[in-house]
Amino acid sequence: MALDRAVAPAVANVAAVSPGRSARVIRRIAGRLGGLALTLFLASLLVFFSRFLVPGDPVSFLLRGRQPSPEAVAQVTEQYGLDLPAWQQYLTWLAGAVQGDFGRSLQYRQDVSAVIADRLPVTLMLVVMAGAIIAVIGISSGIVAALNRGRALDRATLVGLTVLSAIPSFVGSIVLISVFAVQLGWFPTFGSGEGPADMAYHLVLPSIALAIVFVVLVGKVTRSSMVDQLRREHVEVATSRGLRRATVVRRHVVRNALGPILTVSGVLVAGLLVASTIVEAAFGLAGIGSLLVQSVDRLDFPVVQAIVMLIVTAFVVVNAMVDLAEPWIDPRSAAGAGAR
Amino acid sequence: MSLLEISNLTLDLPGGARLLHGVSLAVGAGETVGLVGESGSGKSLTARAVIGLAPDRAALGGRIELDGRSVIGASGRDILALRRDSAAMIFQDPRSGINPMRTIGDHMTETLRLCEGLSAAAATARAVELLSAVRLPRPEEHLRQYPHEFSGGMLQRVMIAGALSGSPRLLVCDEPTTALDVTTQAEIVRVLADQRDARGMGMLFITHDLNLAASICDRVVVMRAGRIEEEGPALRVFTRPSADYTARLVATTPTLGPGSGSGSGADERPADVPASDAPRSGGRASALALTASGLSKTYHRHGKPPVRAVVEASFDLEAGAALAVVGESGSGKSTLARMIVGLEPTDGGELAIAGRDRATIPRGRRERLARARSVQMVFQDPYLSLDPRITAGRAIEDALRLHSDLDRASATSRAVDLLEQVGLTAAHAEARPRTLSGGQRQRVAIARALAIEPDVLVLDEATSALDVSVQAQVLDLIARLRRERGLTVLFISHDLAVVRRVCEEVLVMRAGEIVERGGTVRLLEAPSHPYTRLLIDSVPRPRQADAQPAGATVA
Repeated sequence: MALDRAVAPAVANVAAVSPGRSARVIRRIAGRLGGLALTLFLASLLVFFSRFLVPGDPVSFLLRGRQPSPEAVAQVTEQYGLDLPAWQQYLTWLAGAVQGDFGRSLQYRQDVSAVIADRLPVTLMLVVMAGAIIAVIGISSGIVAALNRGRALDRATLVGLTVLSAIPSFVGSIVLISVFAVQLGWFPTFGSGEGPADMAYHLVLPSIALAIVFVVLVGKVTRSSMVDQLRREHVEVATSRGLRRATVVRRHVVRNALGPILTVSGVLVAGLLVASTIVEAAFGLAGIGSLLVQSVDRLDFPVVQAIVMLIVTAFVVVNAMVDLAEPWIDPRSAAGAGAR
Repeated sequence: MSLLEISNLTLDLPGGARLLHGVSLAVGAGETVGLVGESGSGKSLTARAVIGLAPDRAALGGRIELDGRSVIGASGRDILALRRDSAAMIFQDPRSGINPMRTIGDHMTETLRLCEGLSAAAATARAVELLSAVRLPRPEEHLRQYPHEFSGGMLQRVMIAGALSGSPRLLVCDEPTTALDVTTQAEIVRVLADQRDARGMGMLFITHDLNLAASICDRVVVMRAGRIEEEGPALRVFTRPSADYTARLVATTPTLGPGSGSGSGADERPADVPASDAPRSGGRASALALTASGLSKTYHRHGKPPVRAVVEASFDLEAGAALAVVGESGSGKSTLARMIVGLEPTDGGELAIAGRDRATIPRGRRERLARARSVQMVFQDPYLSLDPRITAGRAIEDALRLHSDLDRASATSRAVDLLEQVGLTAAHAEARPRTLSGGQRQRVAIARALAIEPDVLVLDEATSALDVSVQAQVLDLIARLRRERGLTVLFISHDLAVVRRVCEEVLVMRAGEIVERGGTVRLLEAPSHPYTRLLIDSVPRPRQADAQPAGATVA
């Protein structure tokens, strides 16, 4: 029969594809991890050797304020390994960095790892809280706007987001402090508090200030991705089958719109860490961001290098995770671009 | 009381435009009613209104009664109930109609679980049952697969099975086979007819294809611009149309052979004229415009077996002749066209156009221009092949100025010349593609290809996206251009009936290989390869009084 003849090759094809799936997944992950290591290696080169491009000599910083005797210079130079050739310094640094040892801070005369470990919780908490605000408010405003596309609520949301996006985070910080901390007195103005609960309380305003710009970004991406998905025919098909509107949106629109949102979120992580420098300064928080600014100012190269590597690592790892999550969101990407 | 009764249905957009002007029709249980018309006729709008899918903020008037319940003005809850129990819809493109990110099993069981409250196990059992009913070979396995692992025909079966999951009394089919190959279309039509008969469902079958409508429907309703032009038994409407519009539609619909009762008369086969006329007597009859020998292309895919898209294709094309390359999707016909135009490198074999070697992808400006002068291509979708920001005249001018030393003024006047040759006017030169109709755009694309005066013109499914009446005009245009300019045409198409009107010779391709070549008339009447026969037999024909059950196409 004509039918069986035509169906048979297509079926054979389907059967041939299935067994290779797990092997492909493993290869994908391995490839991704390899790429990750390579990126980190290249970044480490850039981060380490850029020090030699910056004017200023670490030795003179260390001996600041004194009339350095040649012996003192020689001693400090040797102590910090600055007399070795650049590549050797790099290897020493790299070997340490891999084990979490970034050398000693010039300004604190402490291990860099200790200095950073001291500051890290504040920044992590700040970024996590801001991330939560961004995810909840950004995604939900995008969804609300998309579902009311063209109506007043959509326009109001878009205008609101656009206005917010025009507020730089330092201005936002000042406004938040003056309204909620100074005038209303609901939140503290300064510092990061003691203990997790108190810290979270102290970080409410800073995380809002940090989140504002990114909420706009995520909101707009969510809206356009949702609008794109709402137009798809499979959404109409689902509707025609008698599913409730909310079910259709949840199962066929939001889920399918996640791809671009995740991609943007990946890029956003680096932005959050960088923007935290400003917010931490504005709220007087002792975090990584303010440490970075301060260390650049004082030519504290080991700390700067460590923080930049930390940011790069966070960025690369999060984006690798986003990439690896993609086949879970969209099975076609696992099968290769041809399947789209 | 019929299953579905639409009376005096109107649809107004908020802007004041009225898209449906009082449509009335009825579908009984077990009956198939065809809704036929060209794009913009309102046939899809009418069908969608039946299951409450009218566009947002459109105002509906008149009455729609489905299974004894009124649709217009029904509450949201009633509409949901109606979609769950009374009517289901099958859409045109199964590839975009099933969520690509969820499994087939999820698609199949979704409504069973969420609307009917079946347990996961019971829903799965039902899904397997339904998938076997539409003759999918391995239902249990399919449930775990994703849509991208399926062919279009298999997906359309899944769509049908999904639509049947609520045991609807009415099945609305919106061009369910338009995106499919003819052989697949024949299978899908058969599955639909089987299910209709087994379940006693009523069917509202929307199509632009009169032949298809006449092959499966009991009655046909012809629509145009939101109005009903004619209604009656399918065979009568097809053979003895009473409305002028229907008569025109029938006349312009390409058919496979003189046997199948269309009365189009004079313009039946314009293609024969040039073949016997201009080129043969012009003395360059023996000149070969194109020779291909052993042309091959294999695609190597990452982690999958390679695909042999074109296998050792050898043929030649005389200057002034028209050769059709016919095949289904995946037959390699488009790859062949792309190799000839130089968009795709060849893996092996020789290709000469107008006596020059053209087997390699052109490198550098000079080679690219020479290649473009030797062969031009008109693509399937004029909506995509014209730059939306460039006016029609400018698109042609740009091609002219790239290939000649014409100054702007003479290029402009030459562009207007060309537009007039393809049946447009100087006024169209100023128009951007957005303001042109599909047929007009395709004319512009043809004029742009002709501007360069290529040795060979490749038309890749150039009329597939057009309405039949527009398609007929474009086919006539091609015939006229061949007569007047001795144009050499390579016509890539999936549609044997269209090919018959344009080309005197046909190549049939399947899975990368040329399986048969011959004169069009001979090949259609006495195909020697079984695949060619299958293709021909799959083309829908009007059902004779009560000769065969619908969709029975096996010879």
